[in-house]
Amino acid sequence: MGVMSVHQFAQCITCHAWSPDHSMVALCPNNNEAHIYRLVEDKWEKVHVLQKHDQVISGIDWSTGSNRIVTASHDRNSYVWNLEGSEWVPTLVILRLNRAALCVQWSPKENKFAVGSGAKTVCICYYEQENNWWVSKLIRKRHDSSVTSVSWHPNNILLATTSTDGKCRVFSTFIKGVDAKDSKKGTSDSKFGDSKFGELIVQLDLSSSWTFGVKWSPSGNTLAYVGHNSMIYFVDDVGPSPLAQNVVFRDLPLRDVLFVSERMVIGVGYDCNPMVFAADERGIWSFVKYLGERKAVSFGSKYGTQFSEAFGKFYSQSKQGVSNDAVESSRTRGFVHENCINCIMPHMEHSTLITRFSTSGLDGRIVIWDLEYEQDLLEL
Amino acid sequence: MSGSEDFVEADNAEAIITRIEHKSRKIETLLKQYKPVEALKTALEGTQAMTGDERCKSAHWLVVHRAIMAIKDVDGVLSSLDPEYYDILMKYLYRGLATGDRPTCDQCLRLHEKLTERAGLGCILRFLTDTVNTV
Repeated sequence: MGVMSVHQFAQCITCHAWSPDHSMVALCPNNNEAHIYRLVEDKWEKVHVLQKHDQVISGIDWSTGSNRIVTASHDRNSYVWNLEGSEWVPTLVILRLNRAALCVQWSPKENKFAVGSGAKTVCICYYEQENNWWVSKLIRKRHDSSVTSVSWHPNNILLATTSTDGKCRVFSTFIKGVDAKDSKKGTSDSKFGDSKFGELIVQLDLSSSWTFGVKWSPSGNTLAYVGHNSMIYFVDDVGPSPLAQNVVFRDLPLRDVLFVSERMVIGVGYDCNPMVFAADERGIWSFVKYLGERKAVSFGSKYGTQFSEAFGKFYSQSKQGVSNDAVESSRTRGFVHENCINCIMPHMEHSTLITRFSTSGLDGRIVIWDLEYEQDLLEL
Repeated sequence: MSGSEDFVEADNAEAIITRIEHKSRKIETLLKQYKPVEALKTALEGTQAMTGDERCKSAHWLVVHRAIMAIKDVDGVLSSLDPEYYDILMKYLYRGLATGDRPTCDQCLRLHEKLTERAGLGCILRFLTDTVNTV
């Protein structure tokens, strides 16, 4: 199986992000702090604690080029953290929200970042040199409910959002003075060249329930997002006449997705086990397989297996002090993650293919997966 | 404006009900020939495109109910039912359970158990979350 390493960092992790060289990880252990860990001689050492927020941190992103961390929290604020010497120095970003910030992502050029919120708005933040200040520009009155996820198109202009109103939307975030005119013309999709800030490019109304975890493919040609109805949606030709496909799957819904290549997507969610989706030559998407297998319990006799099962159940109950739901415990037992996975991040890239990625979830673990071990998938 | 729309809607509903009556006769024939799977498929077909009209929904339900109650070999029927029918069948099973009628509930529960084994929890979630296309 494709698991490279598993580490229990906390009781629960709300989100995590990797440093540019992948030697450090920033995570929120379900409280108002972000912890940065570094791998030293096969052991994770806590090297920094970012302490400034008042409430749970719901989103972290670490920019690769400029080595800056942005955090978003339920306290309605964001901080941009700069490493000065050996200290991470925070800069407050006033988002002008009246509800929690839920997710955050740096734009590809790292001159802007987007924050989705429970106030039915998206904040596009950019740095103003003259005032030495991060400014937040709001996209208002476009969402009918909380914005659960944001994703930047590689062209640094388009932003996709998902919301609990069941829709996925794509906006233009062109900001005068920040985005050069020619940067718009230089991109492949000149059809969005003269779009204004906050302009709705497309609204996809495919799901009958909440939507989560939107991502663009590496080229920006395909968009994927998930619905809370155990469905995943793939959209090509994002624009006036988008081509949409939906794929139903048999188990619990997903929370987040990641494109590992143009034609392969990993989905993670309530099933505690990453799912692989792939497109064939005709571009038809389908479910391929689960990535994790149950850890084989190597007991010879049947008696031994039964005993260890019973013991495992007893142990998990005494530890978590919850439910005697036999179905639930037998479902999750044996997977690398023992609870809902809500975050998936790329970890290592080889040109166009992401071969390693990490997942974190409500069980407090970060698992690094390596697709090199999955030869059958690499051949797809 | 809204008046003419209502008229179209009603006209449409009449057409649908005529179609359902036709379907009902076809199902009776199939059941006489001991083809419960074919009968179930026929009953479920065309119900995907729902109208908001309660009369149509009730008419559909009567037909589907007839086909569901005629199933004896649950495993056999489900194994020859194509997966694209799973979601819509699940919706009708919940409608059956909502009636509170003892024999209907018994039958729907038996089917529900076997269908969940085949179609997974995702199928139930799709029923729960679909508040637009209800049956």
